[in-house]
Amino acid sequence: MSTQTLSTSSDTLPGARREDSRIHLTFPRTVRSEWIKFRTLRSTIWTLAATIVLMVGISALFAWGVTSSTGQGGNPDEFGGLTGANVVTGGYYFGQLTLAVLGVLVISGEYSTGMIRSTLAAVPTRLPALWAKALVLGVTSFVVSSVAIGLSVIATRAMLAPIDLAVDLGDPEQVRILLGTALYLTTIALLAFAFGALLRHSAAALAAVLGLLLVVENVFSLIPLTFFEKISPFLPSTAGSQLMMPQASIDLMATTATGAVLTPWQGFAVLAAWVLVLLAAAAVFLKRRNA
Amino acid sequence: MIEAHGLTKRYGKKTAVDDISFTVRPGQVTGFLGPNGAGKSTTMRMIVGLDRPTHGTVTVNGRPYSQHRDPLRQVGALLDAKAVHTGRSAYNHLLAMGATHGIGKTRINEVIEMTGLESVAKKRVGGFSLGMGQRLGIASALLGNPHTLILDEPVNGLDPEGVVWVRNLVRYLASEGRTVFLSSHLMSEMALTADHIIVVGRGRVLADAPVADIVARSAGTTVRVRSPQASRLVELLAGPGVSFTSTAPQAVEITGSTAEAIGEAAAAAQLVLHELTPVVGSLEDAYMSLTQDSVEYHSTQTGLSSDNLTDHPGTHAAHLSPEGANR
Repeated sequence: MSTQTLSTSSDTLPGARREDSRIHLTFPRTVRSEWIKFRTLRSTIWTLAATIVLMVGISALFAWGVTSSTGQGGNPDEFGGLTGANVVTGGYYFGQLTLAVLGVLVISGEYSTGMIRSTLAAVPTRLPALWAKALVLGVTSFVVSSVAIGLSVIATRAMLAPIDLAVDLGDPEQVRILLGTALYLTTIALLAFAFGALLRHSAAALAAVLGLLLVVENVFSLIPLTFFEKISPFLPSTAGSQLMMPQASIDLMATTATGAVLTPWQGFAVLAAWVLVLLAAAAVFLKRRNA
Repeated sequence: MIEAHGLTKRYGKKTAVDDISFTVRPGQVTGFLGPNGAGKSTTMRMIVGLDRPTHGTVTVNGRPYSQHRDPLRQVGALLDAKAVHTGRSAYNHLLAMGATHGIGKTRINEVIEMTGLESVAKKRVGGFSLGMGQRLGIASALLGNPHTLILDEPVNGLDPEGVVWVRNLVRYLASEGRTVFLSSHLMSEMALTADHIIVVGRGRVLADAPVADIVARSAGTTVRVRSPQASRLVELLAGPGVSFTSTAPQAVEITGSTAEAIGEAAAAAQLVLHELTPVVGSLEDAYMSLTQDSVEYHSTQTGLSSDNLTDHPGTHAAHLSPEGANR
């Protein structure tokens, strides 16, 4: 409680000045700060752990289901071109939910607690803080998704190998699906982040992003009107999921679809475009609005 | 050094800060005083770029805050003790804040020690008391060892020991040549802490002067008189520019005259006086007279007596309860 302990007290000390010149803002330091913030919240740890558990658990259940149905006389060929990679990434649907929650909370949690004012006071140009957050979230989501997929491969190998459905890393399509799942999940996390940055309220942003992913997209794809059939393939999750689909399934879609059928990478590009547009809007608002 | 020129902030139709200009100089504690809703916090938020001015400019150490390459080294700000994520520990909060500027663990531990947070530093901020939150806010402000400190209501929620500590801390920082800008709605606290005071009301600057000048300005011409013949004295003195307030039976406060004139008038009429005291204006009186027209939210009049603001030793905590308790 002493007031006498200010370390580098006087500005006239040459030593103090030399040390001070190193104390300034840089983008890598902002990223480091965001990484510290990211890893020091329990919600981050819980959502990431839940992502891994759900993805590995669901893929194991999926593998079990496939195994038992083939054991009863089923044939892998009857699963519409299903590959081992699809079984292994079967938990993506749940993984996207936990990562979307994480993506929203990373930014909306700062608004709900008032932390954003500390953040923006330290980084008054504002945008570097937004990009640093997105970078930390994106890299972590990619790494965690990849780990979850890797663990799923290991967890399901014993079940899938006997029925000839084990993941084959020599098959470009399977590699595309495995990598694509990690990319898809990362992009969905960033989509949620952009919603969080735009709406600034956890509940509103969660409702918007989960409503879009779970309700709007499914409802649109069910309505048999031309307008909805044209729009549906370009909605973020629908478009992005193409990257995780076996080519055989896409070909099958093309025979029945009335709307556009995007190739895997076209689909992913559409999802990425959604994220870029929303992030750009978030950046404009962040720059303009009062914190 | 903080320089504001024609600073204006409107939220929709409401003008929070109305064309104010002022300079906060280094080496002294400058108090920023005004009733709740006077625009103090908005002004401070504009200084560090959290709110965009509608018109006007404000610079810190010669530049807009956001154009400094080392903002935390230029300005340490406590604007809101709740500007912290409740799920993170105090230590990690400071670590993350410092990381943006390459401020290391040594300095983090230093400010934790300075602000007396050692015992709770590893605990999550969500469980902090108001006083602990305030200490953490002050620790964040000191993190970059800044040239300029901006503290919005820093003693809010602190215990008496904490209040004295903040007072000594800001005086010490100013004595080192730093700029210290401190807001409060408590005159008594300002009287003890500040060298210079900027009084605002309804978004405008009402006074900008050294503490002594502000007191002197209100050291008006009120004289307290007690006399068994008070009513006759009142009749005798009645005239333009002279007003009377009866404070008790046989006692009256006379404004607009002087002790000399009253004493001579009483002697000429052979009236007995039991007391004849010129009332020295206090900083509270000065504040009240400056801001009485500009109080944003008039509440009951009972709280408006200056007794409420007088500095009773040991009862600071009572003054520092949430804003508005004093009115």
